[in-house]
Amino acid sequence: MAEQVHIFGIRHHGPGSARSLLRALETLQPDCILVEGPPDAQEVIQFAIHEEMKPPVAILVYRPDVPKDAVYYPFAEFSPEWQAIRFGLTAGIPVRFIDLPQAIRLAEEKKAEDTSEAAPATPESKSLEEPPPEMTVRQDPLRWIAEAAGYSDSERWWEHQFEEREDANEAFAAVLELMTALRAEAEKEQPSNPLEIAREAHMRQMIRAAQKEGFARIAVVVGAWHAPALAVMPAAKHDADILKGRDKVKVAATWVPWTHGRLSFWTGYGAGIESPGYYEELWRTQKPGERGLRWLTRVAHLMRSEQLEGSTASIIEAVRLADTLAAIRGRPVPGLVEFNEAARSVFCFGDDLPLRLIERLLIVGERLGEVPDATPMVPLQSDLRREQKRLRLPPEADERMLELDLRKPNDLDRSRLLHRLAMLGIAWGKAAHAAGKGTFKEAWRLRWEPEFEVKLIESAVWGNSVSGAASGKAIAASLEGGLPELSALVEKALLADLPDALDAVMHALNERAAVSSDTGLLMDALPPLANVSRYGNVRQSDTALISTVMDGLIARICVGVSAACASLGEDAATEMKGRIESTDAAIQLVQNESHLADWTSALARLTTLPNIHGLVTGRATRLLFDDGKLPAEEVARHLSLALSRANNPVEAAAWIEGFLSGSGMLLLHQNALWSLIDNWLASLTGEHFQEMLPLLRRTFGAFQRPERVQLLERAKAGAGAVTSQSASAGDESVNVERARLVLPTVACILGIERTTL
Amino acid sequence: MSINVIRAHAEQQFAEELSVLAKHDEKPRPPNWKLSPWAVQTYLLGGEVGGLKIVPKYIGQKRLVEIAVATLATDRALLLLGVPGTAKSWVSEHLSAAISGDSTLLVQGTAGTSEESMRYGWNYAQLLAHGPSLNALVASPLMRAMREGRIARVEELTRIPADVQDTLITMLSEKTLPIPELDAEVQATKGFNVIATANDRDKGVNDLSSALKRRFNTVVLPLPDSIDEEVEIVRSRVASISKTLELPAEPPALAEIRRLVTIFRELRSGQTEDGKSKLKSPSASLSTAEAISVINQGLSLAAHFGDGSMRAADLAAGLCGAVIKDPVQDRLVWQEYLETVVKERDGWKDLYRVCRELL
Repeated sequence: MAEQVHIFGIRHHGPGSARSLLRALETLQPDCILVEGPPDAQEVIQFAIHEEMKPPVAILVYRPDVPKDAVYYPFAEFSPEWQAIRFGLTAGIPVRFIDLPQAIRLAEEKKAEDTSEAAPATPESKSLEEPPPEMTVRQDPLRWIAEAAGYSDSERWWEHQFEEREDANEAFAAVLELMTALRAEAEKEQPSNPLEIAREAHMRQMIRAAQKEGFARIAVVVGAWHAPALAVMPAAKHDADILKGRDKVKVAATWVPWTHGRLSFWTGYGAGIESPGYYEELWRTQKPGERGLRWLTRVAHLMRSEQLEGSTASIIEAVRLADTLAAIRGRPVPGLVEFNEAARSVFCFGDDLPLRLIERLLIVGERLGEVPDATPMVPLQSDLRREQKRLRLPPEADERMLELDLRKPNDLDRSRLLHRLAMLGIAWGKAAHAAGKGTFKEAWRLRWEPEFEVKLIESAVWGNSVSGAASGKAIAASLEGGLPELSALVEKALLADLPDALDAVMHALNERAAVSSDTGLLMDALPPLANVSRYGNVRQSDTALISTVMDGLIARICVGVSAACASLGEDAATEMKGRIESTDAAIQLVQNESHLADWTSALARLTTLPNIHGLVTGRATRLLFDDGKLPAEEVARHLSLALSRANNPVEAAAWIEGFLSGSGMLLLHQNALWSLIDNWLASLTGEHFQEMLPLLRRTFGAFQRPERVQLLERAKAGAGAVTSQSASAGDESVNVERARLVLPTVACILGIERTTL
Repeated sequence: MSINVIRAHAEQQFAEELSVLAKHDEKPRPPNWKLSPWAVQTYLLGGEVGGLKIVPKYIGQKRLVEIAVATLATDRALLLLGVPGTAKSWVSEHLSAAISGDSTLLVQGTAGTSEESMRYGWNYAQLLAHGPSLNALVASPLMRAMREGRIARVEELTRIPADVQDTLITMLSEKTLPIPELDAEVQATKGFNVIATANDRDKGVNDLSSALKRRFNTVVLPLPDSIDEEVEIVRSRVASISKTLELPAEPPALAEIRRLVTIFRELRSGQTEDGKSKLKSPSASLSTAEAISVINQGLSLAAHFGDGSMRAADLAAGLCGAVIKDPVQDRLVWQEYLETVVKERDGWKDLYRVCRELL
């Protein structure tokens, strides 16, 4: 059997493994290649040699009915699996994936989820690396070996032993032997988990099938960990029993672009390699002797492009330093650690900051792969690609700023596309702050994430084009949302230029507003609409419909507001005060005469009606005063009325809060108001004053510091009258006997002789 | 070696270690090096060779020493950067002692360092009597190092005026020192190299020209990472210094050192070790080297005026002096620290009391 089946235990994403593997395949000239990977993706495998395919890419396996149940199998150019697949396809021999199909794994996951709802959700996606349970159970088996060899971590050890070595013909035999020993140890500690057993059983069954078909030289490319399990074949029935009676779900597979950042360690759920950019360099430079030269030259070029020092002489020195460092550390060739240290000493003058630049741009080397247009895609995906091409807005993995001038048609279309995608929950562009003035500018921070492909597939239920899907989703949302959500939706639909959706949403809004008895909700819905009507002309969209709806809203608000303000509690009144403010701002923004008149009279009604919380009345008075609709004398009258002795002081304090909140300037400039409040304060009894103090503090504490200082100055200047009043009230209440008791302590503190007392 | 010197050179003080290392050193040595790079590294980082325990000279990251040694092995000049008191001169002295067996070829950089002290001067009596000749030349330590193939040290490179600094460029890139007066030159023999130290706290003193900067590999020596590391540094240095100073006091209690190091670290970083409260930092740099000298001072106070074992009172004088460099600002910082941190800490009452008395 050993003659027929050749097992190559590799390390996922290991460039050294890839190189050794290629060499071994050249020698072997297999007639069939079996690769650890999802058989569900068998049909799309041939795209790997399509000329438009540019790694990093990933195979995406998902359930068409629940697209978010998806699994990625990422490949970089230097992944051994990728090279094996390409080798096989180029040679025109069968290439097959032999792992346990995702159809079965996803079905089992679903079952597990269904049975234990309370359990935390299983991770949405897994990579080709060992599945998580293994990682936790086995805790990095290579560490034992690495530690025995005196390395701090297994990654580094593996790198030196296998990835950075040039001659690795013996490597596969060595890896197999090593892994056999390790697995025996690990088995003693803890038996393999059922998933692993099933996966390996399936792999063996696939090998058997290939053997039966009569292939003479079968190359099996699997993760090194699985190699020993495939080297020894148990009886076929044993494996058949393991795999018997497993449910399946329907899955689909396609290729999606992937990024280096996703491959790298620090984004969390990647395939767990720290330095994809460096590995790519390792893969490209076949001669290890030249590696340092090429790598450090790239570092120097990067430094130069960032206006930092990076001369040719420095490259020479850095290469020499890295070589010597490696020699001192007893390593045949310098590795990334040595290169980094040499770069820090020579290029960065000991500084860490430029090193971080190297890390981001070279060691990770952010890059987004490409997949050919012919890859199976849902129509929505292809539509997005067409749009991206048309608008010259290619997806990129690196974040970049985009500033749009909405007066230009192309930019306007770009903005629409980004807003439509945002409607679908694809946050490719995030709104940023645009420099400069004018509503025609819009700034975005763009960054394409591979998961967006899944979101696109998920969104396919809404429509076949980006605009269609966005409309569809908005219309569906309009059937459910309450008034405030709907009005926010209007704004979004308008930005995304979705006329169909806008119609539907506006109608929904109109209907909802007509039957709504809650004026508060109407008030919440108004401000976004007012914003929209302001943006309308920039975006060349039709806002007539919005005006109609807005007219209705404002009319209903003006009618209902006084009823809505009646008999409110403290919290409700605070909320209502905010709403009145924002409604006022919105109506001011629209600047429609008749609306303004309606609103003014509604506010005026609020100030006179009984049963309305002081906060609201106070605020309404203030708004009227600020708009010049209420003369100062009239305001003074309202104030004095609100502060009359007959009123509950708590209510009066609320009135003051409503009236003054925001700014105290009014008090400084309106003498009448000042003296009214001053007199009212002075007239409070001690008990009442204590009760009032927190409320007043809340009001006055919110003022700007300079305002408070001015108020204090003012209070000091006019303090005479007030203090004399309180003093006269206090004269009789001093208990001389009790006061005397304190005097010795006071004397002690002041350091006065007691006899002088 | 004279018994009476206050401070012996590294190669004298550790002569035994160096000779044992040389005896057991079988790795290849760069030309004119007394030890192989591996042995140099062992000498600095400590270890055990031929039954002799090598005392660690530099306690800190191993990779810094590796880079420094590798740099010198590639005959590139080495620039040690760091805030004051991070063992820059210490490392440079031991490196040159280990590599050349001689740490005395030293140019101390000051604002008044002249070109003569970098290149060569003249013995005027000779010059007048016999005219210009090699005999009338007074070689600088750098020139001697070039002739003999040794390591020369330049301390505080950034304090040297920029035009004088640049005389190093020819020496470092052409490895030669022309003497136009005699129409001659001194060519560096193998083994010659330069270790310079510079302080990156005093920014803008005389920044290196980029031409010169390019000739150095830079290694930044950081302040110690952890409190344990710093305590260990202070402890071992104090022990060795008090031996040379023949202080009769008992070796300092680790607790006292830990307390001092904690205070220094907290004031330096501007927050307490537990990271819970912010502090003001004084203008003093409060380096490990200063901690060492405060402990030494405390030890000698204890030895001569106390009961021989160092207590809070012995430490306090040096401590206040180290922290308060600016009589107004730093005094406030120190007072605040005493009242908010020292006073509240368990078991620090004694220190609080004596420090209060001194203020």
